[in-house]
Amino acid sequence: MHDHHDDDLTRRTFLKALGASVALAGLDGCTRIPAEKILPFVDEPAEFTPGVPVHYATSMMLDGYATGLVVEANDGRPTKIEGNPDHPASLGAAGILEQASLLQLYDPDRAKFVRSGTSASTWSDFAHAMAPAALRQRVGAQGAGLALLLEPTSSPLVGDTLASLQRLYPEMRVHYYAPLVPAAASAAFTEVAVIPQYDVHAADVILSVGADFLASGPFHLRYAREFADRRRAPLAGMNRLYVAETGFTVTGATADHRLRCRPREIEPFLESILATLAAASASSSDGWALAVASDLRAHSGASLVIAGDHLSPRAHALVAAINMALGNTGHTVWYVQSPLLGAGQPSVTLPPLVAAMRSGAVDTLVCIGGNPSYMTPRAVGFSEIMRRVPNSVYVGLHENETARDARWFVPAAHYLESWGDARAYDGTYSIVQPLVQPLHHGKSAVEVLLAMTGAPAGHSLAMLRSTAARIGVASDDAGWSTALRQGFVAGTASSRIPATPRPELLARAVPATNSAAGSVDVVFMPGACVHDGSFANNGWLQELPDPVTKLTWDNAALIGPGTARRLGLDTGDPLLLRHASETLTIPALIVPGHPNDVATLHFGYGRTGAEGVAKGVGTNVYQFWPTMDEFVISGVSAERAPGVARTDFAITQTHWTMDGRDQARSDTLGNYRASQRNEKTPQRTPLTIYDPQRRLESPIQWAMTIDLGTCIGCSACVVACQSENNIPVVGRDDVAKSREMHWLRIDRYLEGNEDNPQVVTQPMLCQHCENAPCEYVCPVGATVHSPDGLNEMVYNRCVGTRFCSNNCPYKVRRFNWFDYNDEISETERMARNPDVTVRGRGVMEKCTFCVQRIREAEISAGTNGRTFRGTDVTTACQQSCPTNAITFGSLTEPDSAVMRRREESRLYDVLAELGTEPRVRYLARIRNPNPDLESG
Amino acid sequence: MSVSRAPAAATKSESFPLLKGNEGDAALTDHLLASLWSTPRAWWLLFALSSLGTLLLLATVTYTVVRGIGTWGNNIPVAWAFGITNFVWWIGIGHAGTFISAFLLLLNQRWRGSINRVAEAMTIFALVNAGLFPVLHLGRPWFFYWLIPYPATMNVWPNFKSALPWDVAAVSTYFTVSLLFWYLGLVPDLASARDRAPTRTRRLIYGIFAMGWRGSGFQWQRYRIAYVLLAGLATPLVISVHSVVSLDFSITQLPGWHSTIFPPYFVVGAIYSGLAMVLILLIPLRRALNLYDVITRKHLDAIAKLMLTMGLILTYSYVMETFMAWYSANTAERYTYLVSRPFGPYAVTYWIMTLLNVVSPQLFWMRRLRTNTVALFLISGGILVGMWMERFIIIVTSLNRDFLTSSWHTYFPTWVDWGLLAGSVGFFGFLFLLFVRWVPSVAISEVKELRQQQAPARLAGDHDA
Amino acid sequence: MHDQTLTPGVYMAEFSSAAELNSAVRVLSGHGYTLLETYSPVPLTPGIPRRRSRLPIVVFIAGLLGGAASYAIQWYANVYSYPLDIGGRPAHAVPAFLIATFEGTVLCASLAAFVGLFVVARLTRPWNPVFEIDGFERATIDRYWLAVNPADKLTVPDPTPGDLRRLSPLRIVRLETQS
Repeated sequence: MHDHHDDDLTRRTFLKALGASVALAGLDGCTRIPAEKILPFVDEPAEFTPGVPVHYATSMMLDGYATGLVVEANDGRPTKIEGNPDHPASLGAAGILEQASLLQLYDPDRAKFVRSGTSASTWSDFAHAMAPAALRQRVGAQGAGLALLLEPTSSPLVGDTLASLQRLYPEMRVHYYAPLVPAAASAAFTEVAVIPQYDVHAADVILSVGADFLASGPFHLRYAREFADRRRAPLAGMNRLYVAETGFTVTGATADHRLRCRPREIEPFLESILATLAAASASSSDGWALAVASDLRAHSGASLVIAGDHLSPRAHALVAAINMALGNTGHTVWYVQSPLLGAGQPSVTLPPLVAAMRSGAVDTLVCIGGNPSYMTPRAVGFSEIMRRVPNSVYVGLHENETARDARWFVPAAHYLESWGDARAYDGTYSIVQPLVQPLHHGKSAVEVLLAMTGAPAGHSLAMLRSTAARIGVASDDAGWSTALRQGFVAGTASSRIPATPRPELLARAVPATNSAAGSVDVVFMPGACVHDGSFANNGWLQELPDPVTKLTWDNAALIGPGTARRLGLDTGDPLLLRHASETLTIPALIVPGHPNDVATLHFGYGRTGAEGVAKGVGTNVYQFWPTMDEFVISGVSAERAPGVARTDFAITQTHWTMDGRDQARSDTLGNYRASQRNEKTPQRTPLTIYDPQRRLESPIQWAMTIDLGTCIGCSACVVACQSENNIPVVGRDDVAKSREMHWLRIDRYLEGNEDNPQVVTQPMLCQHCENAPCEYVCPVGATVHSPDGLNEMVYNRCVGTRFCSNNCPYKVRRFNWFDYNDEISETERMARNPDVTVRGRGVMEKCTFCVQRIREAEISAGTNGRTFRGTDVTTACQQSCPTNAITFGSLTEPDSAVMRRREESRLYDVLAELGTEPRVRYLARIRNPNPDLESG
Repeated sequence: MSVSRAPAAATKSESFPLLKGNEGDAALTDHLLASLWSTPRAWWLLFALSSLGTLLLLATVTYTVVRGIGTWGNNIPVAWAFGITNFVWWIGIGHAGTFISAFLLLLNQRWRGSINRVAEAMTIFALVNAGLFPVLHLGRPWFFYWLIPYPATMNVWPNFKSALPWDVAAVSTYFTVSLLFWYLGLVPDLASARDRAPTRTRRLIYGIFAMGWRGSGFQWQRYRIAYVLLAGLATPLVISVHSVVSLDFSITQLPGWHSTIFPPYFVVGAIYSGLAMVLILLIPLRRALNLYDVITRKHLDAIAKLMLTMGLILTYSYVMETFMAWYSANTAERYTYLVSRPFGPYAVTYWIMTLLNVVSPQLFWMRRLRTNTVALFLISGGILVGMWMERFIIIVTSLNRDFLTSSWHTYFPTWVDWGLLAGSVGFFGFLFLLFVRWVPSVAISEVKELRQQQAPARLAGDHDA
Repeated sequence: MHDQTLTPGVYMAEFSSAAELNSAVRVLSGHGYTLLETYSPVPLTPGIPRRRSRLPIVVFIAGLLGGAASYAIQWYANVYSYPLDIGGRPAHAVPAFLIATFEGTVLCASLAAFVGLFVVARLTRPWNPVFEIDGFERATIDRYWLAVNPADKLTVPDPTPGDLRRLSPLRIVRLETQS
């Protein structure tokens, strides 16, 4: 099992011993420390003690850009993915995709064998067939018949490898494709391959035009943090966010003012803003635009306008012009060269490759990663074209749609299994460090490319070190170690470059697209949880409720209430969309706040590959997608699909309003400021016949404060909790029965009118009530209180009466209706956190405040002779939160963050009137609306 | 009207004789024992039917235990549903037995004599069913004994602040006492069966169960003391058991459960459904065993009057808890009572329940219907259904719309839920048919004594009037 | 007389109604017979006067003990042996403990009443010498028997049969079997 082609004898013997011990633990052959020297995160000891988790810094590349991560490994098994606090793209937080990529590593459906045609093959056969000697026969000496198709990447290592391959095959063509990496942004500028960078923190007023900059995109974790830092203390320079968007995104839900507009209204809106800014006297037909424009102007240089990735180049140009007019350029927004390989060169995109393949110019196609057969419009017909290529190779994690069309298949290595590098959105050089040897002997892109150059196996690390040296990592071992420990190289961010929006784009008036009456516009967006579909086989993400619609295990056509009435549709009814020759039948989902006469479709569902989880989930929207890089189509006829049964969605929150109750509170900045003048109203303490102080005998009293003002509902905490606490995935049917197991859920409430509602998101978890209603009804004392104020759940004492759930006013307790952990595969078991009990059938479970982390910190403090303080513990949800909305600590430490936040007058308990005395308390969300728009 | 005055009223109406016919004691005894020696075809038919039901129960129970509670429709927030509804329903039915035999005995209601045996048997079989559900309902039923205080090495004990150990105590006590009471009442009749048994085997069997009863004056005197003592002890039980069951709900904070009216409200509902079940059993039995002389229209009339009384008290409870919910001005309470129940997802159940429990018993104001077996049978059946629905509404419509609107979710039963309900009904019939076949279903000695007291002519000399 | 002290030589007389049996009892006790016992399908009133039963006091004490034990168990378990912080409620929750206490009281009292009866009324032996008299089986159906122990009238000739015959019973039997 341990094939270590390396000569570090002590390490090898150690690994043997480790392998044996782990084999005893029933994980035979699954623990594979890479043979090469890998080094743990900076502030961790280099020694490796079995049973003691070690944290390694690494990076994950998504759509070409790196996010720095710190991954926890238990006995050589990666078990938890967290953000790298020092990395510019993370700042310590981790998004849902980054965290869930852990499950991807252990996905039982991952391909395990090299395949040639329909027969099993081996890596060496493949390497031999692809080695220059053999390949030259096929593709010619110059490699004219050789084509590579890669995912967009910013990896200098890949770049160097490609260069060396290019030296062998000068005429080789290299192309990059991912559906959600459009060229629109850079196409808006006269300079080539320009991407904008933002300083959200410096912006007093932000206008986002269709940009979900808080919850998606390469730098969203950083932007969310910067955004939240300006809202944490509402009275100290709170920023204001306007969002004009079509779909309903997390950013839109967070906005102080949200303008729902049809795609065609976007450019006119931007034009009127630009016009208003240009004109000395503000005058615009559109009141909203007028108010926003004047607000932006009032904060010239300290305002920011952000354009969504998927808008037209013209929209991007307009936004750039607006920022320029406002004098934001150089302050809140600046531009850099895109670090993506071949960025801005039309020749490296997919269409020319397709043309070449169609013309038969391509003899050998090597497709590494991605899933073009699935992720391209039907019109492109990639699948059958690829089948016609005489010699095609697909390197991927799964035997997916594209693999089926390829002659050769090679299992790819997960990023946690392979050496690599990438650049962050700002260009920061980040290192991808493996934590395990490939579980299924998968190969990384670099390894495949090197094999084609005929380089010896295991050459990739040497190659990486030389690349790193070129970038500026000291080539000696010390320098290399530092880089590995940090996970990135500081000071490698790209330098600012000037960018000017193409004047012709600004000049050209938008042709008025007046489509047939009754027709709708269709907007294509990535699935909030499965992205472009590459995460579709991930149970955590499939079961993660969409932050806005709370939909799981499915995608739908999101439509506004008005459209629903016009088409006579109810949620779940089948909607038939017709555009040109394409038709699509997809269940409709009514979303208050969604613009009318528009349908939003999410990519990433309706997979037909060999992935067991993804198969048959949702509808494949790529089939309906007319042209790449264009995410809006208009003139689509919409009607109720005849003779199609309605779909019962698995939606975790079916009731969207608070019905006049006040569990999730919010108010305007004005009212909040006014309330400060009259002295603080003391927190109402419910009457009790018992001694209220009885609970403070233990020096530490755990408590949590959650700031609804900075919670954007991105759901990163939900995935963090699921990963940290071994929470099972129950599947679509049980979610539909309201049996999801998430200990931490995000409640989303809509206020105001259904056309333009205000949104409040509220993380809801066990409130650890001091007078817990769940405790006294348990007949066997399976849920009791700890001296340090935790509401504890004793799994092996629980008999499952579910009485506790009935008496829990917050309904945060979860029940194991079946033996959910029974069907888990061996590899998925490896993702488990060894510090947390895996619950069996018939017992209750719920949030424990990450008691395993508390006790671990307590013990290590004890062993190190430190006095244990509440600040020593970070809960999983708190750690992953991009906006630091969650603080955790001890009631007995008034100087700690958790207590300092409790001094604010917007502090409140949910359902305080029940006298449960929750230890989790909330800060009401404060909105900062524009007084001029308050009326409308 | 109140519970205690209802039977008094019943005895006052002299229009119907309490017992009819004037066959001799021997003939009467043989008449009442006849069902022990011969089996009519109808019995086999019903027995086969109820056996099917019993099989269904076994199947669904096995499936539940093997696969898990997930095979039911329960969810979060509706963590309790059919299982607990069936439990409360059966317990309730189990109340009429002890009510009739003990309560009415203390109140010296002579008419109980001919029907208490059936009522007590019904109680025991209902309790057998009731006991099944809380255990089956556990996530890990094989650990049900953790609710019982037994010395364990880890010093783990039940938590007696929870209502569930109270349930265990109350239900098990009630079952034991009912069983003792029933058996005690049986002893003299078992002796009669022994002495009339056609074959030696039967004579032996009944002889063993009769435990050497020979009706000596000493035995009779001590027997009467013990019997009255047991009755005195069982009477508070009738009140306590369903009060305790109601605490399962009222000790919580849940709107719709958190209510002080529950104990009396539950007890009345229990007796209500129990009396309905008594009629459901008596009316066919009376016909099958030709008991018209022993179970007369007077009995039916008295039970119907009692049911009317209970129905009125129950109606009062319905009105009062709804009024209180409104009067409390508590958002959640008001929503549960004034919106969720009458207009929510289970509104149909709510209105059918009102029709069956509140409106239909009003027909008993008419004397003609009080003694019309068809009407009695139908209305009683309706009330049984209605009382099941009442429990369903209390449990489910409170859980599915509680404090945080985000956790609201509807509940739908699965085939397993329905199977368990139907199966338990079948099992109940199964047990009752065996009872009719093996044990005198009328308290023979009591009937004989009653006839003597009723016919002074047949008693020479003095006797207490 | 206790019907378990049936000895050979006891006379058994069968009557057809409770009234006859009652008058027979009255007549014979008038003659000074004390060792009498009646057998009847229904309780005989007034029958033979007897001493007060101790059953009620036994039941009362059993009830008290049961209640005390139930409360003690709960107190030991939740307050003494393993007190837990449950919902912020005090470990010694008197109102909560009262319910099981009540049930325990009733349970023990009922068991005492039941078992007590079987002991005092000797309902533990399926067989009894009187069963040997053929025709006695009707004592549980419709016949009324009187047992007379002539022990307190030991004169020769024994007057008992005569006294009995004067009551004109259906028949008179002399018990031979040993108890």
